[in-house]
Amino acid sequence: MTSDSNEWLFVDTIDALDEDDFMRFDHRGETYILYKVKGELFATDGLCTHEAQHLEDGVLIGHIIECPLHQGRFDIRNGKCAGGPVCEHLKTYRVKVEAGRLFIELRTG
Amino acid sequence: MTTLAAPKKILPATTAASSNVSLDRKLVRNLAQRSDKPGLLWLASWIAALAVSGFLLSLAVASSSTLLTLAATLLLGTILTVPSYAISHECAHGTAFRTRWINETSLWIGSLLYFEEPYHRRYSHTRHHTYTWHVDKDSQMPFDTPMTLKGWLLEISGVALVLYESKVFVRNALGQFSQQTLAFTPENTLGRLKWSARACILIYATLVLLLARGETWIWTYLLLPRLLGGPVMLLFTLLQHVELKENSPSILESTRSFTTSAIGRWLYMNMNNHIEHHLYPQVPFYALNKLRQAVEPQVPAPDKGFWRLNWEVLSVVVRRSFGLGTRARSLRQASHMIVSDKDAKQAKTVTFAHKTTL
Repeated sequence: MTSDSNEWLFVDTIDALDEDDFMRFDHRGETYILYKVKGELFATDGLCTHEAQHLEDGVLIGHIIECPLHQGRFDIRNGKCAGGPVCEHLKTYRVKVEAGRLFIELRTG
Repeated sequence: MTTLAAPKKILPATTAASSNVSLDRKLVRNLAQRSDKPGLLWLASWIAALAVSGFLLSLAVASSSTLLTLAATLLLGTILTVPSYAISHECAHGTAFRTRWINETSLWIGSLLYFEEPYHRRYSHTRHHTYTWHVDKDSQMPFDTPMTLKGWLLEISGVALVLYESKVFVRNALGQFSQQTLAFTPENTLGRLKWSARACILIYATLVLLLARGETWIWTYLLLPRLLGGPVMLLFTLLQHVELKENSPSILESTRSFTTSAIGRWLYMNMNNHIEHHLYPQVPFYALNKLRQAVEPQVPAPDKGFWRLNWEVLSVVVRRSFGLGTRARSLRQASHMIVSDKDAKQAKTVTFAHKTTL
């Protein structure tokens, strides 16, 4: 536990995530995406803020994740909108690897 | 991957999932990869084709032959107009180029030639994908269905497009957005829509002013070709959904793919693979043929032949307008679009009997 309300949750082994690739993780009715780009790990909400389509079917272009339905874009490093039709930023989360195991930090409180 | 609870509800939209089509996720991701090269090659070929057809038109004008001039104008118009629609559409999706500024510049120029404000083009198209061919929800259903001869004439002549888009240009430039525009445009981009509409109007007005001051090349090499090329462009777009089922969650029922020649595929940036495009709109134009092969076992076979299909559409709408049977020879139609010759005859008899009773 990192604080009273945040928790590091085990997602998968790091081998499950290829370089320049991303994967979906669902937890307690919420859905997330974890990314690996140039050796760095990132995590965001899984649904596009425009019309709630899942980004797991999207396209990763460098640090940009593009929604599969309308091609709205977000920067996965900070969740900021990077191209229409989106206008609401995507929430981001911290990610870490310990002993080959991948964790995401989520608010649980 | 462990799923500990069902995720939040995803907005229902007309997608591959709602059409019961599925492909391996890795395959789709690979097909959706972006590159500048195919788009730049296509752009270079378009500019070259415009230069050649423009040169041919100049020769035809110099020859003083009305027939040759008309043919050359139609050629230039087709090469100007169909690709301007296609590049505008592809760039509205942001899939034509990997480099964003090339994509956005091409969106602007393509849309200007096509005659739609570029950002309105992008945002209205999002609704077309969310609610493909859903009455009152799809913002790009340009004609009433089932289509009649009057609807066909308004659509193919370009009159419907010019009237509708002119109204949108003026309203958006004044900041008096329609309810429909407000529904699909992100609030923080309305200002951009307004200024872009003003810029477009300024450019169109400048062209008209220059023409009025005697710059006749604008008429010969731009306006007249655009007007004559319009119907060809609209014949392409008409085939996308005409005679198919409205309000269906399945893209396979609402949308049509069709075969066309290599020239047609180039002009239209492979958008004849229209079912495939709606199933996976993240796949760029240059990967659509590969996508078609991948998805082939799960989708209807494409209808055959651009000219033949358009002839069949015209035949159906004429027959419908005159109360005759509406079954096409090969064009795929939704069942409710089809009235058999026998039923049409009976309906006529009943109508006649009804009239005589009155």
